[in-house]
Amino acid sequence: MRLLANYDWGLIWENKEDLLRGLLVAIQVAAVALVLSVAIGLVLALLRLGKPPVSWLAAIYVNVFRGVPALVSVIWVYFGWSLVVGISFTVFQAGVIALTLLYSAFISEIYRAALQAIPKGQREAGLALGMHPARIFVQVTLPQATKIAIPNIGSMFIGMIKDTSTFTVIGLLELVRVTQNLNSTTFQPFVLYTAAAGLYVAAAFFFDFLFRAFEKTLTTPPSGGIARAAAGRRRRRIELVMKDVEALSGKT
Amino acid sequence: MRTPASTSSSRQEGSTEVSRASLADAERASRLVVELKGIKKSFGSVEVLHGVDLKVHSGEHVVIFGPSGSGKSTLLRTINLLEEPSAGSVRVLGVEYGPGLPGERAEKRGGPLQLRRHVGMVFQQFNLFPHLTALHNISLALRSVRSLGRREAEEKAGIALRQVGLLPWAGHFPGELSGGQQQRVAIARALSLDPEVMLFDEPTSALDPELVGEVLAVMRALAESGMTMVIVTHELNFAREIGDFNVFMDEGLVVESGPRGFLDICENARTKRFLKAVL
Ligand SMILES: Nc1ncnc2c1ncn2[C@@H]1O[C@H](COP(=O)(O)OP(=O)(O)OP(=O)(O)O)[C@@H](O)[C@H]1O
Ligand SMILES: [Mg+2]
Repeated sequence: MRLLANYDWGLIWENKEDLLRGLLVAIQVAAVALVLSVAIGLVLALLRLGKPPVSWLAAIYVNVFRGVPALVSVIWVYFGWSLVVGISFTVFQAGVIALTLLYSAFISEIYRAALQAIPKGQREAGLALGMHPARIFVQVTLPQATKIAIPNIGSMFIGMIKDTSTFTVIGLLELVRVTQNLNSTTFQPFVLYTAAAGLYVAAAFFFDFLFRAFEKTLTTPPSGGIARAAAGRRRRRIELVMKDVEALSGKT
Repeated sequence: MRTPASTSSSRQEGSTEVSRASLADAERASRLVVELKGIKKSFGSVEVLHGVDLKVHSGEHVVIFGPSGSGKSTLLRTINLLEEPSAGSVRVLGVEYGPGLPGERAEKRGGPLQLRRHVGMVFQQFNLFPHLTALHNISLALRSVRSLGRREAEEKAGIALRQVGLLPWAGHFPGELSGGQQQRVAIARALSLDPEVMLFDEPTSALDPELVGEVLAVMRALAESGMTMVIVTHELNFAREIGDFNVFMDEGLVVESGPRGFLDICENARTKRFLKAVL
C-alpha cells in the first residue's frame, strides 16, 4: 500500500478532458482515414481483379504499402512530401494520408477476397434478368461482399486507432501526445499510461461492438435487437404491399 | 410485329378483318422466337459445341436432354448470351445477337442487354439474391430493368409472387425458404419481366425429391398459359408430358430430335441407351 501511495491516481480524473480529447483526435483521424481507405481499397480490389497491366500496378501498390510501418509513413508524408511536392499538410491531414496509404492496401485485400467469395451465379442471375453489369455490382455483389468484409474492416479500424499513437512524432495532439505532455509536468508515467491504455482498450471494445451490430443488420434475416428494429420498417412496408396485392386479386 | 414474315403481311392492306385476325393467329403460332444456327462454342482450345441448330416457335415447349457434359447448359446459355458462341447465329425475334453465319448478313443486330429483355432464365441453383427478401429479389429486377418506381415495382413483384403461390412469403429471405420455394421465387422473378421465352436449366435437379412436384406444377401451369419454354431436364416423365419438341444431345451435337411422343419412338442407339439408363 505504501507503494501505491506514491501514485497519484487522481491525476486521471483531473485531466480527464485532455485525455478524452486526445482519444477523440485519434478516433477522428482513424475514422476519416477509414472512409478513404474503404473507398480506395475497393477501387484497388477491382483493379486487381481486372486485366493485367493495371492489375499489376494495383498489386505492387498493395504489397509495398502493406509493408510500411505507420511511423515511417507519417514522417514520409509530413516531412518528406512537403519538401518534394511543396504542399505542407496539417498534422491532422498528414495523419489521415499516412493511414490511408497503408490501410487502403489492407482493405483492398479484404475486399478482393470478399468479392471472390461471391458465387458466379449471382452475377449471372443479374445478367440473365437484363440488369446492367454496373448495377449488378452495386446492388448484388457489393452488398454481399461488404457483409463478408465488415468483421475484418472492423479490426482494421481498431488497428488504425492504435497506429495514430505513432503520430505523436509529428506533434499531433492525440492520446499519446497528450499523455506525454501531462507526464512531463507531473512525472507520473505509470498512472498516465495506464489511463491511456485503458482508453485505447475501451475504444476497441466500443468499436468492436459497433461493427458487430452493423454486421448483424446485414445478416439475413437481421439478428439482434438493433438490427431487428431497423428491419421493422421494411417488414411493415412489405406487409402493406401484400395487402394491396390481396385486395387487387379480390377485385379480379 | 418483329419477324420479317409479319412485317410483310401487315402490308397486305386489302385483306378483310377476319382473314387478318386468323392470319395473325397462324403467324403467332409459327413465329420463330429463337433460332440458333451452326452454334459452336470453345472453352480455351476445347470445343464443346460443334455446330448446333435449334428452332423454338412461339408457345412451343422444347425439351433438351442428354448425358452430363454433352453441352446442354452451354447451349441454353448461348440463347441469352451468358455464353458468347465462338461461331454461329443467335436470333431472337428476328434480331441477330451472335457472331452470325458467314455469308449471311442480318438486317438487325442487338446487344446482350436488349436480348435479355426478351429471355428469362431459371437456374439449377436458383441464384436468388440472398441479401434481399423474396419480394425485393423481384422488385430489384423490375426497378433495374424496367425502370419502375419503388412502389410500382413492389406491387408487380407481389403479383408475380402470388402467381407462384408465395405471396405470404414476400418478406422472407431466400435462406428462410425451402429449395422448392426458392425456385418458385426465381421463376416469379424471371416471369415478372414479361419475357417472350423462358429458359430452364435443370430447375429441379438441386431439389429434394419431395420438393420437385411443386416446381413442376408451377412450370406446368406456365406451359398451359402458352409461355414459350426451353427446358433442360432429367425429369423424363415431365418432358414426355409437356415436350412439344424433344432434342437429344451428346458430345456437343444434337443427335436426334422429334415431336411429341419422340421419347417412345426414337431410333438412335445412343438415345435409347441414355433413356434406358435414366428410366
Ligand atoms: N466455363 C467453362 N470452362 C471450361 N469448360 C466448360 C465450361 N463450362 C462448361 N464446360 C465444359 O463444356 C462441356 C459441356 O458442359 P455443359 O455444362 O454444357 O454440359 P451439360 O450437358 O449441361 O452437363 P450437365 O448435365 O452435367 O449439366 C463439359 O465438358 C464442360 O466441362
Ligand atoms: Mg448442365
